[in-house]
Amino acid sequence: MSGTVFNIQPYSLHDGPGIRTIVFLKGCPMRCGWCSNPESQESCPEVYFDKEKCIADKGCDFCRGLCDIAGFCPQQVNSELRGSCDAFRDVCPSGALGVYGYDASAGEIVDRVEAESAFYSHGGGGMTLSGGEPFMQGEFALELLKEAKRRRINTAAETCGLCDTEILRRAAELLDTVLFDIKTLDEQKHIRYTGCSNKLILENLEMLFSDFPKLRKQIRTPVIPGVNDNERELNEIRKYLEGRENYSYELLPYHRFGEKKYSLLGRKCTTYPE
Amino acid sequence: MAQDKVYSPQEIRILNSEGLGAKRAGRILESFHGSRPVIDIERGKYFTESFKQTEGQPLVLRWAKALYHYAEKATVYVDDDQLIAGRAGREGRYGILYPELDGDFLDEAIKSLPQRDSSPFDITDEDAEYIINEISPYWKGKTFHEALAAAIPEDTRRYTYNNDEELSSRFIVNETASFRSSIQWVHDYETPLRIGFNGIKARAQQKLSELDEFSPVDNTEKRPFLEAVIITADAIILWAQRHAELAEQRAAAETDEKRKAELSELARICRKVPAEPAGSFYEAVQAQWFIQLFSRIEQKTGTIISNGRMDQYLYPYYKEDKEKGLIDEDRAEELLECVWVAMAQYIDLYLSKAGGAFNEGYAHWEAVTIGGQTPDGRDAVNELTYVFLRSKREFPLNYPDLAARIHTRSPERYLYEVAETIKDGSGFPKLINDEEVVPLLLAKGARFDEAYDYSVSGCAECRMPNRDTFTSPCAYINFAAALEMTIYNGKMLKYGDEVIGLQTGEVEDFKNFDEFLSAYLKQQKNFMKQAFIQQHEIIRLRAEHFASPLGSSLHRLCMEQMKDIHQPYIEGGIDLGYFEFIGYGTVVDSLAAIKKVVFEDKRLTLAELKEAMIHNFEGYEPIRQLMQNAPAYGNNDNYPDEIGKLLDRELLEFTGKYSRELGVHLDLRYVPFTSNVPFGKVVSATPNGRLAYLPLSDGSSASQGADKNGPTAVLLSNYATKNYDIRDRAARLLNIKLSPQCVKGEEGTQKLVDFIKAWRELKLWHLQFNIINRETLIKAQQNPDAYRSLLVRVAGYSAYFCELSKDLQDDIISRTEHFAV
Repeated sequence: MSGTVFNIQPYSLHDGPGIRTIVFLKGCPMRCGWCSNPESQESCPEVYFDKEKCIADKGCDFCRGLCDIAGFCPQQVNSELRGSCDAFRDVCPSGALGVYGYDASAGEIVDRVEAESAFYSHGGGGMTLSGGEPFMQGEFALELLKEAKRRRINTAAETCGLCDTEILRRAAELLDTVLFDIKTLDEQKHIRYTGCSNKLILENLEMLFSDFPKLRKQIRTPVIPGVNDNERELNEIRKYLEGRENYSYELLPYHRFGEKKYSLLGRKCTTYPE
Repeated sequence: MAQDKVYSPQEIRILNSEGLGAKRAGRILESFHGSRPVIDIERGKYFTESFKQTEGQPLVLRWAKALYHYAEKATVYVDDDQLIAGRAGREGRYGILYPELDGDFLDEAIKSLPQRDSSPFDITDEDAEYIINEISPYWKGKTFHEALAAAIPEDTRRYTYNNDEELSSRFIVNETASFRSSIQWVHDYETPLRIGFNGIKARAQQKLSELDEFSPVDNTEKRPFLEAVIITADAIILWAQRHAELAEQRAAAETDEKRKAELSELARICRKVPAEPAGSFYEAVQAQWFIQLFSRIEQKTGTIISNGRMDQYLYPYYKEDKEKGLIDEDRAEELLECVWVAMAQYIDLYLSKAGGAFNEGYAHWEAVTIGGQTPDGRDAVNELTYVFLRSKREFPLNYPDLAARIHTRSPERYLYEVAETIKDGSGFPKLINDEEVVPLLLAKGARFDEAYDYSVSGCAECRMPNRDTFTSPCAYINFAAALEMTIYNGKMLKYGDEVIGLQTGEVEDFKNFDEFLSAYLKQQKNFMKQAFIQQHEIIRLRAEHFASPLGSSLHRLCMEQMKDIHQPYIEGGIDLGYFEFIGYGTVVDSLAAIKKVVFEDKRLTLAELKEAMIHNFEGYEPIRQLMQNAPAYGNNDNYPDEIGKLLDRELLEFTGKYSRELGVHLDLRYVPFTSNVPFGKVVSATPNGRLAYLPLSDGSSASQGADKNGPTAVLLSNYATKNYDIRDRAARLLNIKLSPQCVKGEEGTQKLVDFIKAWRELKLWHLQFNIINRETLIKAQQNPDAYRSLLVRVAGYSAYFCELSKDLQDDIISRTEHFAV
């Protein structure tokens, strides 16, 4: 079975215990204005273009041959180019033009994860699934977790919580740690900023607390200026969690490292807070 | 940016201009900090005077007499505020002269010294005159440098020297034996602390009385050796006594009661050690400083004489004093820091351009080893170990070069404190892995107790002070030049039409990657041939030019056999030499790029690539980027790593065969100091997209900016390219630069410990971290005055960033910084 990933990142330090390798799966049901991985949102591969890296002005025309493909024009971003983008891979010498996302089998991916295993044995590191929302590719995510477990690799997943409850339940059987986001408890606000209700998210979290008491839960809130960066709202979340067992709660500071990737995809990040 | 920039504590200290603190060592440091070094001529002067008087005598005896003459005549110093006596030159930062090495061109070099680009020195007119008229003329025709140049066969010379008067280095197959007397070295300090030089002298006298009066060998070899040991012991004792006298005079004239008492105590100690056994921690520290300083006077040791396992041999004194209530951690730290600031004032002066380029930023590496295992294989960490780490955190001077030995049973507290010290931003300690070093020493013939008791020596080497006997400095080989010769059929762009290397064929004619690779391997093997021919002559000639009665008197085998350490063969010795791979990442990446882009993807021909390189990629930027973005070493990618492993193996097999002929171990090493910069200056554009004459890759680190998968991948590529089945390997220097975000807080420390443990289990030899912000480095480059004390890691040591040449600063800045976002 294969799935679509857009990065496998070793030496990740803030995504579960120890030193970990993150597998980023493509596709997300939410469209948060502050998303730092815009290339994760669509489920299929997408072509990107980075004008700053382009060296057409230095006589480069390696991508000229791609002009036959519908809609491609050198030195321009075309947000419509997605899906089967294989022709755009490994063409550009400077890395200005390329593709976010590729298909790989669970075995291939876990091979890459396992290659870093020397760094997991102390401190409880291992593999973390992230995205996007990893459980959007539900069966594939489960396949990855199963394969990791089979190889005795510690597992974690970063989820926005908006996913099929049965998938999440099956995943929880295979997870050592879940990293679960609560953006806000205010449903209207949640809809306004992410495009989705938080109802299912909170139900899923309740399910994890009630059915998987032994699962280690790291609840996290990305603090977004103008959205949820007020004590009242954060205290509500803390109060909501109070008295539950086997969890930790942390705030994730807001950053804008993802900003540039929007323009590479020909998108505007209209709701990116200043 | 909303994201807070996290600075290392060292950077914060500098940014806040807090100064160097109210500590005693801080005050001493401030008295000379940032000042330009001066040359002190006394060592050169008194050695020359003495050598003029002793012509024709056995060399070891001449050396001992020169030391005695120095001890009798040279100015002695007791510095204000200092608790430790002894300098080898005048106040402030100083360098001293070794005319036996460079006397033939000393006069010329002296004239250019103040203007030199890297590591300039000042000298008074009067002293310059003296050098030109009195010192230099005597040594012309007598130096090792000249003898070696004359002995090296014509064919090998072409790779070694430029055809100029100074015989300047060509930076292709580079000998390092003519600008230092010995490879990095470490003494057995434990014995002289325990028995004193009177004890050593008594041993020599005993042996003298037992010589066979009719034996020609005893009379012509052993007798002069033993006499030299006795004279040398007398010399160091006399020298210490003169310090005692000065301290007494200073005490008598001192009005401040507290300082008066300090000076009287110092005088008492200098009267006693190193003649007699040390009786306290303070006495042991002073005795050790006298010994290492006198060793600096004796000869120029590569990277300066190392300090050995200080937390081991000083511990009994510390423990006893502590039990008696005579000392606490603060006092021990203060005494050690007095030594550190004394060390910082000694500058490793290289007069040849090659030597200076090897040691930018006035660098020296008198390694202090901590941690590791006891001779019986138990963990060796003790209370004093933690004092060394604390000192490095509280007073992050770049001397000494602190080296922490790590093994599988190193206690958690030790690993934690090591990580905390590394986080402090100065890059210390560097780490050396017992799990790699000990088995290799065993494989080379050491006993377990000797192997467990090794000391870190210099940059990354490891020595067994009473078992190692190889002092010949070794070849640094620029294999990026071999690659260039593969492209240009034996030529290099820098040297025009001259055919230097083998003519392996026109590059356009290679039909597949294997043909190209096999041509490169021929060039590589030819460089090895030249290096080993050099080494043969170096080993043969050295004993005629160098002797080390002090160093030999501190060596068990030398004393048993009554033989100087520089003699080519000492029975029972293990000769651990090496040769150096310069430009590993550059070569591996170039080969991988050719394999992938030219032969597999067929996006380019070799003719087109050559054309682009001849033009230094000007007008060929697409080709440059195509090559640069090909698979590169340092990313845990099997494609380049397989090539890297093959090159490593070929070299190991060569030395496995031919170093035996030389009777020594010449192991493959990847430790460039700062020399990847000057070696880069002769190599034109390379197929990995590196522009002409920029620095080559450093040690076993990835090419600058090529490691895109983070530090774990760099370690795994190192692991993947090593040939663990062959014993002929030495250190691989591995520098990892981390931004402070990666190690922030308690959790960051723990993850740094986890990282170190993984490195240990991968059996990599060396690891050093540089935790810094790129922005800070750029700022420091633009505004050096404000960042004068900023420490930066360069190839296994710390130098002050602002003292490095611009090239090297750019090199550091261009190395990938790993953000963990």
